[in-house]
Amino acid sequence: MTTTAPPPNDLVATLPAVPRLRPRRPRWLDVVGILGVIGLAFTVWLGLWVTPPDKFQGNLARLLYIHPAVATVALYWVGIVAAGGSLLYLWPRTRSLFWDRLAASAVEVGAVFAALTLVTGSLWGRPVWGVWWTWDARLTSTALLLLLEIGYLALRRVPADTAVRARRCAVAALLIAVDIPIVHFSVDWWNTLHQGGTFIDPGFQIHASASMSWTFLLGFVAFSLVFVWLLGVRYQVEVLQDAVGDEELEVSLAERWSEDTELIGAGTSARPPSGPTESGGAS
Amino acid sequence: MSYVDAGYAIALSTVFVYAISLLVRRRRWDRALTVKESTPDEGAAAAERP
Amino acid sequence: MWHDAVLVAGKDLRIEARSRVGLWQVVPFAVLVLVLLAFAIGPSQSELRHAAPGIFWVALLFSTVLAIQRSVAVESGEGTRDGLRLSGIDPAGIFLGKAAAVGLQLLALQLVLWALVTFLFDVRVQVVWLAAVACLLATVGLACAGVLYGALSAGLRVRDTLLPLLVLPVLAPVLLAGSKIWQAALSGNVSSGTQWLKILVPFAVIYLIVGIVLYGPLQEAA
Repeated sequence: MTTTAPPPNDLVATLPAVPRLRPRRPRWLDVVGILGVIGLAFTVWLGLWVTPPDKFQGNLARLLYIHPAVATVALYWVGIVAAGGSLLYLWPRTRSLFWDRLAASAVEVGAVFAALTLVTGSLWGRPVWGVWWTWDARLTSTALLLLLEIGYLALRRVPADTAVRARRCAVAALLIAVDIPIVHFSVDWWNTLHQGGTFIDPGFQIHASASMSWTFLLGFVAFSLVFVWLLGVRYQVEVLQDAVGDEELEVSLAERWSEDTELIGAGTSARPPSGPTESGGAS
Repeated sequence: MSYVDAGYAIALSTVFVYAISLLVRRRRWDRALTVKESTPDEGAAAAERP
Repeated sequence: MWHDAVLVAGKDLRIEARSRVGLWQVVPFAVLVLVLLAFAIGPSQSELRHAAPGIFWVALLFSTVLAIQRSVAVESGEGTRDGLRLSGIDPAGIFLGKAAAVGLQLLALQLVLWALVTFLFDVRVQVVWLAAVACLLATVGLACAGVLYGALSAGLRVRDTLLPLLVLPVLAPVLLAGSKIWQAALSGNVSSGTQWLKILVPFAVIYLIVGIVLYGPLQEAA
């Protein structure tokens, strides 16, 4: 008479409920998103039609309702969240995967905004300076920031245990945060030494009327709200990915393995062939 | 098309496209999680190892 | 041989499409080289414009090394290379397939680099056909020589440092000829450029043939 352990399914049924894997979907996030969209719509309407052309720059000044706002998001908001999140993750007392995921989300959204900063900056710079690109400190550091962010995102895709990945990426993010000011400073110095004086930017003369100032501010607010919403949704994606994650990882690793051996069809041989006498020679 | 129009168009469309892509990704992973949760057999989703 | 080549090329390209290493690592690396060289050559716009052709080709060459390393790495799994050998696929076919896959990736990279060099260094290609022909010929040579040397260094522990050391000197003629042709293409002086095609064509042909012949024996030896 043998007593057998209960079959696994029954055992699973008696376990307490598994903690929720799904991220919360807070209502305030959707509200922020909607406000952001409305803000953007108003910014566009005011920026393109209602505000008058600038005394010095003419219609070109309209891009200033977009470009500085986008740049602020890409450089400052992203920097604060990514660096702050990374610090908070590394600090033992506040360590939580929440900060790691938040930082990673900020970096991805930041890369999009950095690219946008470069594009809107070039579009503004082309008629003003006559060239699409100039190696000044602002543009160059933003370009380098974009490259570093791409590197971070590539690093994040390397399969690893969640905690290991979090630590690795947190350090990477902090190194980026330290590096960008250094780059900005050196490029600035590089330029001013070459020019033999301070770099007078001919583009930044602007005579701001009241409506222009308000639109400017609205642009900032709108893009900041949009940033928060994008950050929130990207964070939710990150949580979901990790929740599904472990199994997906095994699947994709197995897929990648099978791609290598697809042509061979059979399993790999443990022992290498012994030489020219091997019968499996090429046709 | 003037530089200004191009700038606005690119900025808005980029944000819009990225936002949509995030929503799509969220739905896709949410579905994947639902599938995983409802599959009792752990090995169901894993491909055969070589 | 040709059928096998298509098979292998398809495999390599599919792996790339799924892992997207080329897109997210090789392309940013190339951009980085452009930026670093811009830093090195100095903020003067005229000097940068003058150096632009050379910068394009140096960035391309360094990225080629990366692409080759990646091409070798996809088969570095345990027993994969042996498996490939035992499968009965013609080694010349493997060579052609891998070279084709690398070549296609290099072509895509060159399009990106072309756009970026135009944008970042404020230059414009006046004679497009000349620049395009140079790029195509060079790609054949780069891909063939690269895959060959990749096979040479494959399986060695010091592969990552050895490969650049072995292959870059070999690729130097492409750099030379390419830069000169692009200088001509940028300035509009066609005749000074076409003579350099006399280097790119033999280079491509020689390494294509040598690759087809030597790849098999190389695989046996590795």
